[in-house]
Amino acid sequence: MSHSRPTAQLPRAVIPRGSWILPLAAAMALTTALASGSVAAATAATDPTTSTAAAPTDTPATDAAAATAPDASAPAAADAAPNADAAASGAPPEEFRSLDSDVQDLKKEVLDLNKDLFVLEEELLFPANTQVAVYVSLDVGTFFNVDSVTLKVDNKEVANYLYTAREAEALLKGGVHRIFIGNLKVGKHELVAFFSGKGPHERDYKRGATLNFEKGVGAKYLELKISDRLRKLQPEFIIKEWE
Amino acid sequence: MRLVLLFLSALAVALPVAAASRLKGQAAPDFVLKSLSGENVRLSEFRGQVVLINFWASWAGPSRMEMPRLEKISATYRSNGFVLLGVNMDDTESSASNFATAYGITYPLLLDLRKEVVRRYAVETVPVTVLIDRSGTVRYVHKDYRIGAEQTYVAEIRTLLKE
Repeated sequence: MSHSRPTAQLPRAVIPRGSWILPLAAAMALTTALASGSVAAATAATDPTTSTAAAPTDTPATDAAAATAPDASAPAAADAAPNADAAASGAPPEEFRSLDSDVQDLKKEVLDLNKDLFVLEEELLFPANTQVAVYVSLDVGTFFNVDSVTLKVDNKEVANYLYTAREAEALLKGGVHRIFIGNLKVGKHELVAFFSGKGPHERDYKRGATLNFEKGVGAKYLELKISDRLRKLQPEFIIKEWE
Repeated sequence: MRLVLLFLSALAVALPVAAASRLKGQAAPDFVLKSLSGENVRLSEFRGQVVLINFWASWAGPSRMEMPRLEKISATYRSNGFVLLGVNMDDTESSASNFATAYGITYPLLLDLRKEVVRRYAVETVPVTVLIDRSGTVRYVHKDYRIGAEQTYVAEIRTLLKE
């Protein structure tokens, strides 16, 4: 039997249970460990349940199925000895380090893939030629505490967002909230935004703002900006188009 | 024919339980609602705390029995990382407000006038009690209310608080 890849990657299930190769390899490992004078290493080497002993002995054992047993056990013993020494000295064995680094690499790949999938999903659901995104921002906020924002595009309600105290504070600190993302055909459209909240002197305040805009080829970004108009001591609501 | 009728009646009883109970083990659907006190309350902002959501209505007799008992539970455990939210299913704010005043309810009562949260949680009877753990997963769902059920709630809350 020949193997096209290193036997270290073969699953344990390949090794038949009760194989006589494992005890022989373990015995060879014990002999080598005792010869090197490390008692703690010998205990680890002779325990068939530990991965440190099993891993080096398992993989050569598969080769032994095709080759001779003494040849398999010799590298197993040789592999076990430095690992046993490493375990005795307290440093993580080389195999652990490489396994750990493999796991970290896999995690990073998964995260990168997740990010790519998210971007792809957005591009598929909202392609650039029809995409419209509306953002809310709050400047200063002395004269207005935002409570909710309602959006209508072409007379159809597309968003109705209630802001909690934490979210309003985040807006005050400079955060920008994407309240709506959708698809619109090329041409003229009307956006109407209604802002509800507390105005000057803690009075209920409700204002609207309208923007007629042209949707061309390419993504369209609009910003609902709430700012303070100091001259009139009133809040100001503007809808801006991003270039 | 009798078997068919028997099967249909069993289905009619089982479905309401299955509807809300299918959320068990799932992430609790997030929502934001206005409370009677005027604040907006978002469920996900309580992540890290144990949350009990009680769907109630002023016209439901079991709600009238249950809510004063829930008020006691809220007062007992609120300082231990426990939050109790009542989601009202009435059609008007005044009904909920009058009820809260009459029964002395102090925990947040949220108004779901559009019934969006009720639909998301598949609530088909009143009351329904949902317990959510610190990670935002629905762990227990109780349909209806019988006297003494609050003891089960307390046991479950204590289990979740210890996690």
